[in-house]
This record gives sequence, C-alpha cells and structure tokens, in this order.
Amino acid sequence: MVAVARPALRQDVRPDGVYTRDDLHGDTVLDADVVIVGSGAGGATLAAELAEGGLDVVVLEEGRYWSTRDFTAEASQMIRQLYRDGGATMAIGNPPVLYQEGKAVGGSTVVNGGMSWRTPEKILDRWWREAGLDGIRAKDMEPYFERVERRIHVRHQDPESVGKDNLLLKQGADAKGWKVIPNLRNQVHCPGSNNCAFGCPTGAKQSALVSYVPRALHFGARLYSDVRVARITRDGKRATGVVGHVVRADGSNGHRVTVRAKLVVSACGAIHSPALLDRSGFGSPSGMLGKNLSLHPNVKLVAIFDEDVRGWEGVHQAFQVREFKDEGLLFAAVNIPPSILAMTTSHRGAELGALMADYDKMVVAGMLCEDTNTGRVRNVGGKPQAFYQLSDFDADKLKQGCALLSEMLFAAGAKRILLPFALGPHAGELKGPDDVRRIFSEPVPKQTMEVVTVHMMGTAAMGSDRTRAVTDGFGLVHDVDRLMVCDASLFPTPIGVNPMETIQALATRAAHHVLSNPRRFS
Amino acid sequence: MSDYQHSPATRRILTSLVPVICPPEAAELGITDAIVDHVGLTMGVLPAAFRAGFVLGLRTYDLGALAFPPARGRRAHRLPPELADRYYESWLHGPTPIHRQLAIAIGQLLKLAHYEQPAAQERLGYRPAAWIEQVKRRRLEVYSADIQRHAQSLIEPDPLPGIAPHARSSKKGAA
Repeated sequence: MVAVARPALRQDVRPDGVYTRDDLHGDTVLDADVVIVGSGAGGATLAAELAEGGLDVVVLEEGRYWSTRDFTAEASQMIRQLYRDGGATMAIGNPPVLYQEGKAVGGSTVVNGGMSWRTPEKILDRWWREAGLDGIRAKDMEPYFERVERRIHVRHQDPESVGKDNLLLKQGADAKGWKVIPNLRNQVHCPGSNNCAFGCPTGAKQSALVSYVPRALHFGARLYSDVRVARITRDGKRATGVVGHVVRADGSNGHRVTVRAKLVVSACGAIHSPALLDRSGFGSPSGMLGKNLSLHPNVKLVAIFDEDVRGWEGVHQAFQVREFKDEGLLFAAVNIPPSILAMTTSHRGAELGALMADYDKMVVAGMLCEDTNTGRVRNVGGKPQAFYQLSDFDADKLKQGCALLSEMLFAAGAKRILLPFALGPHAGELKGPDDVRRIFSEPVPKQTMEVVTVHMMGTAAMGSDRTRAVTDGFGLVHDVDRLMVCDASLFPTPIGVNPMETIQALATRAAHHVLSNPRRFS
Repeated sequence: MSDYQHSPATRRILTSLVPVICPPEAAELGITDAIVDHVGLTMGVLPAAFRAGFVLGLRTYDLGALAFPPARGRRAHRLPPELADRYYESWLHGPTPIHRQLAIAIGQLLKLAHYEQPAAQERLGYRPAAWIEQVKRRRLEVYSADIQRHAQSLIEPDPLPGIAPHARSSKKGAA
C-alpha cells in the first residue's frame, strides 16, 4: 500500500509581491537595498518598516507561503507543512530538549501561541547594565513596543473565547490565592479555535503572515518563499548579499538565487542565524557566535478531572499564573490535540486507550522556566545542531514548578495528574494532593524529563563590547560592514516571557536606526 | 518533504508493532494500515539522517529478537502478541540509550499516527473542525467592523518618527 497524503493545502490565494518556486524557472539574480533572510517576527517587522521608509527590500523565506484558509485542525499534517523537520528538532543533552521552529512565510509567529508581552523592565535594565546597551531601557523602548502592539493588535481575549481548561486553571490559582492575569495576545477578536500551534484558521491571530508581511508587500517589498540561503556573500569585511537555492518539492536544491544588497540581514532564528553567519565565514572576535543559547525549558503536566473540560473549545493560554515570576516560572493552560498528547505519554496499548478515553476531561498545563544555563549551536555537516545541558538548578526548579502546578490543579478539582518525568522506576502519576510530596521524596531521573521549548535565544547576542558580544545594540555584527542580525539570537539573556514582542520591538528599533542613518547604508 | 515510502520489510515490522503500542481499538476500527501509512508521512519530513537511522534501528529491532531467548529464533515481526510485548519492553528498558530512544521513537510515531485517524478521534468525541467552523462564523458575524478596521490600518502609512516616506527605488532584478 502506498502512503497517500490527505488533500494538499490550498495555495490559491497569494498576494502580489510573493513569489514561490513555481515562479522561478531559472537561476535568478536580484538587486535590492536590503535582503532579509527569514520572514518571522524579526524579518517581517524589519521588512515592513524599511519598505515603508522607502527602501527596496527583498525577503527570502525557506518555507512555503500558506494562507489562513490553508490552516486546519489536522495537527500532524500542519506540523509536516509548517514546522522545520516535522517538529523533530532536538538540542542534544541530558535530557534532550525537543524544540520547534516554524518554517513558513511568517516564521514561528504562524505556529506560536500568540502571547505578546513586553520585555520585563528588569531584563532591559540588565541588558543596559551588563551588555552596555544604550537606549534599551523601558522608557527608550516604550514607543517601539507601543508601535508593535498597535500593528499586531495586542489585547486581552474576549470573555466568550475562554474555555473551561483555562477557567479551571484560574480557579486553581484563585483557590491558592496566587496571582493570575489575563494574557495579552496579538489577536483581533480571537474566538478561541485553539489551533494556534497549527496555523490560525480564523485569521484572528495577528501573526507576521497576516500583519507585517502584507504591510511589507503593500509598501513594495518582494518576498520569495521556497528559497534556502546557503551563505552570505562578502567583499572583504563587507557583506554584499546572499546566495541560495530554490527548495524543490522534495526538499532538494533547485535553481540558484543570488541577491545583491547594500544591507544583509539574518533573521532566521537563534538556531539558524549563527549557523548562517558561521558557514559564511563571519566569525566573531568575541568567540560568542553560536554560544549563549538559552531556551526557556518547558514541561507540561496533564490533570484529569471528573467533569467534561473539552480543552480544544476555547482559546490557548487565556491566563498566566504569575505568582512565581520572580523565581522564573510561569504557568498556563496549553491544550494539545490527542495525537500529540498520546505521543508524549509513556502509556501504550490498552493502558493508553484507557487514559485517552478521558481526553475530554483533561487540562494540559505547561510551565516556562527562565533558565540559568546556556548551550550552543554548531554547524555539523553543514547543518546547525544545538547542544544544551539542563542544569541541576533548573531541573530542581522544574520539579518545584510541577509540584506547585499540581497543588494548584488539585485545588481546582483534578483527580489525578500525569507528570512529565518518572518518579523512581515508575511513570510519574499523582493521585491526590497528598501525593505531591512524592516529587521531592522519590528520585526524578533527569533523563526521564520530557523537556520541550519554542523559545531559543541568545546565540548572536548584542553588546557594546566587541570582545564579548557578536553584534552592537542594533544587531549590526561587530567588525563587519552591513551585516545585521534581527531575531531572538540578539538577546543577551533569557527574558522570562514569550519573546515575540521583544523581537518585533528590537526589529522596529533597528529599522529606525537604519532609516535614520541613510548614508551608512547607501 | 521527501517522497519516502516504507519498504515491505519496514511495513511488516511497523504493522507488527501496532498492537504493541496502540490501543486495541486499532484492530477493532480496522485502521492498522492507515496508522502505518501515517508513520510514513511523518518519516517523510524527518531529516534524512534521522530517517535512515530510524529505518536501520527498526531492522535491528526486528533481527535483535533472534537473540531474545523467549523468541526461539523468530524475528520480532513474527512474535505472538504477548512475546512481542515483552520484547518491546526489553528495548524500552534496554541496556543502552540507543535501545531506549529507539523504543520511545517507535512508540511516539505509532501513537501520533493512531490518534490522527478520524475514527480514533471520533471515538474520543474530538471534533475540532466543527468547533472551528462554529466560532469562525460567529466571529465574522459579531466583529466584522473591528476586523475590517484593523485590516485597513495594516496598510495605512505610519512612518517612524523623523522618517519621511519617500519614493522607493524601482524594483530591480529578474525572476
């Protein structure tokens, strides 16, 4: 029998200015003021601002162009279409950390949860103080945050969009007397389809795909999807453009694409940006390129209630529990489809069937941990490979977080809880609040922790000192002319909140810098 | 996405693992072939080296049963259910991380595939498409004015402070 995909996603709505592999019938050479590699939070924002400022912008994106009508609840099909390597990307370490990156026009903003938070003031102060970054403190960044929030329509959810899983999470926090706040999300009347991670099927989530990309195109930017950039070209210490290839349907290289530009921007994320710079021969005198990888390790647990929850009916992460923010822990309800939930449990056979029979009674809750260790990205065989070792301190913090989250969900009425790690030789399961102490009394083998992330940061960090940082405060690579990084690689430290808005604000600030200094980039 | 397709040997091994990993309903619902097909779709988007390693691992798993005394010289795909279960457990708690990781990966791919089958989702009462259609329609009915207003704002000029919009240079290059 031959495996046959379900009907292909429709691609019949493509705006002017977007070119795909179907449009490139031979080797292609383009000239532009600016070439941007990547169309996610950083790339699309920068493209829109620079295009509006009058520059001729070309954006290259490795993934495909999909439109809102292409997004469905068929989770694994969406993962195959929208995630790099089908989501099977992993930082090597103990435990390995699975990470996910969007690979589509709009980048990871197409598949993120839509949380839109400003960089915490204490983090900006730290960057100012420790990295020597001027003009980065909260009062300096205020106009950029405000501008981004206007563009991507950052708001609280309409009350009718909040589902029962989120209400139970809030009920638990309220019962414990813990601080819980409504999430700020980039959405226009999101109705709670709970499909954020597989592409928003209503168009409510203001991903780059439906906000900054159309704006960039409106102001004349050109966007080429299905183009994989191999390297940045150079003339001495000056970046001069990029060379890549069209990505054929089978993933192989097609026609060659060359872009010559006065400013080259790498905006392909904290895994691929350092790899692209490295394989293009742009080392950093700091020795920090690819290092300083932080990734907000996430774990999730599953709470099973007696009542119907139907977690897929209602918005993803309507609330955040902020009680332990100062300890670097955030909690939220993060419903996931049955297929993804099943694959992350240790159950199988009849046991799996019995567990999943209660799928409609489950609350999946996740936690974000502001990490203290750093890893690195290396080119291995021409491809980036991440390495990251969860520190004992952070592993203990995740255990502590699971204990707190379990207490909270039991307080909301949960009957049992599946943990993201084993307790001794057994699968981690708690049968009541009195069981929570087992998290501390029984050994938790680190290798059994199921750690995931979507927040990779820090691998081409900003800083005023060229011997300690890869780029300056605007993302311009030290000791190289006309080469910029514009994504979460720039973060000198983890930020403890969802990174999208920080990336977009930094991109806006970088655009302002470029447009304010036309002679430097002409 | 590659045009990966299971070889007959890979298909045999995966088919034999469905009752070990998936709930008994896989047989009741007649979705075993569909599950194995779905694993193929997932493997098609995995990095080539990962995919090759996984296929090699499956072959090793199958042949490794020859050295599993209770199997009495049979390959894994020929084992009766109880022995197949014990043999899989022996890998899940195997002597090296490679044994354990392969067993986990097999389980993950098959469990994902099982619960992506419409029949399995229906049995859970999981009908997200109907929910999405319902809320999408309601959103457009109630909030269309706000939606239009924001869409319009996305293409209105709003230059950065101190930056005068100017005529952009003409598009260059050839596609």
